[in-house]
Amino acid sequence: MDTPDTLSKMSISNDAREMLVRAREDGIETVWDRLAAQQPQCGFCSMGVSCRNCAMGPCRVDPFGEGPQQGVCGADADIIVARNLGRTIAAGAAAHSDHGRDILEVFASLAAGETSGYEIRDEAKLLALAKEWGIEAGDRSINEVARDLADAMMEDFGSRKDHIGFLDRLPEQRRKLFEELGITPRGIDRENVEMLHRTHMGVDNDYANTSLHGLRTSLSDGWGGSMIATELSDVMFGTPTPIKSRVNLGALRVECVNIALHGHNPLLSDVIVQAAQDPAMIALAKEKGAESINLVGLCCTGNELQMRQGLPMAGNHLMQELVLLTGALDAMVVDYQCIMPSVTDVAKCFHTEIISTADKARFAGATHVSFDPQRGLEIGKQIVELGIEAYVNRNPDRVRIPAGTMDMMAGFSVEAILEALGGTPEPLVEAIKAGKIRGAVGVVGCNNPKIPQDHGHVTLTRRLIENDILVLVTGCAAVANGKAGQMLPESAEMAGPGLSEVCKALGIPPVLHMGSCVDNTRILTLAAALANYLGVDVSQLPLAGAAPEWYSEKAVSIGAYVVASGIFTVLGVQPPIFGSHNVVKLLAADLEEVVGARFAVEPDPEQAAKLICRHIEVKREALGLPFIGTGECPTDKVA
Amino acid sequence: MANMQTVFINPERCIGCRQCEFACAVAHSESKEPSLALAEDPVPKSRIHVSPGRAYNMSVPSRCRHCDPAPCEQVCPTGAMARDVSHDLVLVDVHKCIACAMCAMVCPFDAVTFHAQTNGMPARVVATKCDGCIERLDKGQEPACVESCKVDALLFGDLNTLIAANRRDVSDAVVAATKSQLPAEKLPATIAGWRLWGESAAHITEEI
Repeated sequence: MDTPDTLSKMSISNDAREMLVRAREDGIETVWDRLAAQQPQCGFCSMGVSCRNCAMGPCRVDPFGEGPQQGVCGADADIIVARNLGRTIAAGAAAHSDHGRDILEVFASLAAGETSGYEIRDEAKLLALAKEWGIEAGDRSINEVARDLADAMMEDFGSRKDHIGFLDRLPEQRRKLFEELGITPRGIDRENVEMLHRTHMGVDNDYANTSLHGLRTSLSDGWGGSMIATELSDVMFGTPTPIKSRVNLGALRVECVNIALHGHNPLLSDVIVQAAQDPAMIALAKEKGAESINLVGLCCTGNELQMRQGLPMAGNHLMQELVLLTGALDAMVVDYQCIMPSVTDVAKCFHTEIISTADKARFAGATHVSFDPQRGLEIGKQIVELGIEAYVNRNPDRVRIPAGTMDMMAGFSVEAILEALGGTPEPLVEAIKAGKIRGAVGVVGCNNPKIPQDHGHVTLTRRLIENDILVLVTGCAAVANGKAGQMLPESAEMAGPGLSEVCKALGIPPVLHMGSCVDNTRILTLAAALANYLGVDVSQLPLAGAAPEWYSEKAVSIGAYVVASGIFTVLGVQPPIFGSHNVVKLLAADLEEVVGARFAVEPDPEQAAKLICRHIEVKREALGLPFIGTGECPTDKVA
Repeated sequence: MANMQTVFINPERCIGCRQCEFACAVAHSESKEPSLALAEDPVPKSRIHVSPGRAYNMSVPSRCRHCDPAPCEQVCPTGAMARDVSHDLVLVDVHKCIACAMCAMVCPFDAVTFHAQTNGMPARVVATKCDGCIERLDKGQEPACVESCKVDALLFGDLNTLIAANRRDVSDAVVAATKSQLPAEKLPATIAGWRLWGESAAHITEEI
């Protein structure tokens, strides 16, 4: 039996702990139970030295050096680890980029006038993108410009270009470096397909060559598929501006029909928000005894809605089962990515309807409503109706909603940050030069039950802002920091004196919510804009990335494109590469000489903060900015 | 027995792949074929158990140690647990076993489990434990768990020889310590790094 002490080691947030107690009481299994049941996990797999790419295998290499050292084909640990890492990056890049394609296809249909429930909400951004992509607007209609932009972006997915469009945002030095290294991403689908080709038996048998293509594949995600997703989502759903919101399971309301929007793609969830505001839908909810319809977000679908509409968040990745345990959720609408197959099992213990919507992501035990952008609004209403019908079956005796929500602020697109700065990066650059802000760090990525939920995100972020480092968050990291109360303008009090002063002057939090995990591209865009403004390469800037609790293949792709773009990145969870000393050395050391950045692995957020502070001071010193000597670690003073 | 052949466990080399468990179950199936074994009724069970350690990336395989004197043998009320003198193994006579679990209660290693077995009779839940792969030994094969272990966490051979091999590692460390030198690296850097992450992750959990 778990004690409160063991529950506290699963998550640092009280709403999660309260639901974990209920899970024990009701005998409902969650992700933490399944992780325990999987122990010990296979060392060949977690060190990356098992290969099942062909039928001469499966094979594994003995990392102790005495058993087999090569697979049947002759691949050693280096080749096997590089193959596996390459395929992991390809899977992650494919997930982001396929999401981007889905957005692009709806955007193209919208331009052709074939959709229902969609409009171009940010014409200025569309025109700016058209200009960036060399499309003449002239006196043509906005739809015609949109059609040309859609066509141009579609070309990025193919193999007819020598580089993808958004790559031009990078400083020239970096683009030249990519050319020299042969890692310029040419086409989004192309690099993914080529990775699968290279990792077929008997193709790329040089671990460094495979790993470099891994970087290229990831760049096709960061500067390609993901960036298209972010930019076109802004055009169709609005470019985020600072907005107040709330977070926690307390966002559920006992008196309302509660519908959670879970997954990653804003295409459907945006029309559901419209449908839930429809007077006929609200009337139906009232007729069934509810006061209204309450929508809450989960994971990155939630982040997309929170960024643009201030929709309250129920939680991040590890909350998806726990939100069902409130007994107050009437429907969970899912699109794709990071939706645990277990949600339908947990939902069976309650009245909750799980509604799947993507034909490519179906769940046994869910009600499937196939999403069609041509009938977007109609489908949105159909889904809301399902939620209202399920509400009737709610058992009030089983409702247990953890009390209270935390306020937070979202909506910091690059445009919004520049707006807050007065239209130019100059004030930010000046603050960095003066040392009031020592640097900026993207704290991003998932939850992983191997790390106490949110502990990595919250602790690392806190230490960084205490050391006057501006923190940019997306995805699960944003939710974690929101729950910890670190994302309000008042949170400036938690920051060091310099950052605190800047935040108070601008009225912004020291931790800026930049969106969903595809929106890590906003961080790339901002980093490139700063580098261009200063006339330096991205790798020279006092920046870093961190994924303290990552779990997914997408996170591996993100980490790879951040490092390839020139930004030092610390991972909290070890990637499956430790079976190859050479691959570890390449990624954690030698890449510094190749792309000007490298990876580090450190599960303890206190230690990760020290690594990052030191790194930022090294970059400041190289730029001739006031720095704190690397022998002395700033965080030491804080503790 | 002067030259006792046994399975010796090197816990620090176990990386938790659990292939020994799979191989053990197959070796104790009717068909001895992995693809067919899973379709048998009752499904064959492993007699070796890989348990998680204190931190991630730590694990220990555990099996019957064939103790002498064996506590299980001493408490078995029906004489089902008995020593096979020719192989120096403690074996269960499933026809005598009454599934009272006295053996499990006294086993210092919790190595006895209870599962359905047929052995030419209708299936019945009886004591299930390592039989030292006596069938395989008689055919001149190694125990299945040892054959499946690719990292030498499980070794088969003369007990004293295997112990002596490990003693050399200890003596390296002792010699190094007494001469104020660093001990020779016992684990490859890859494994050490992999384990270190597990240790660190466990450490932050302990601190919360």
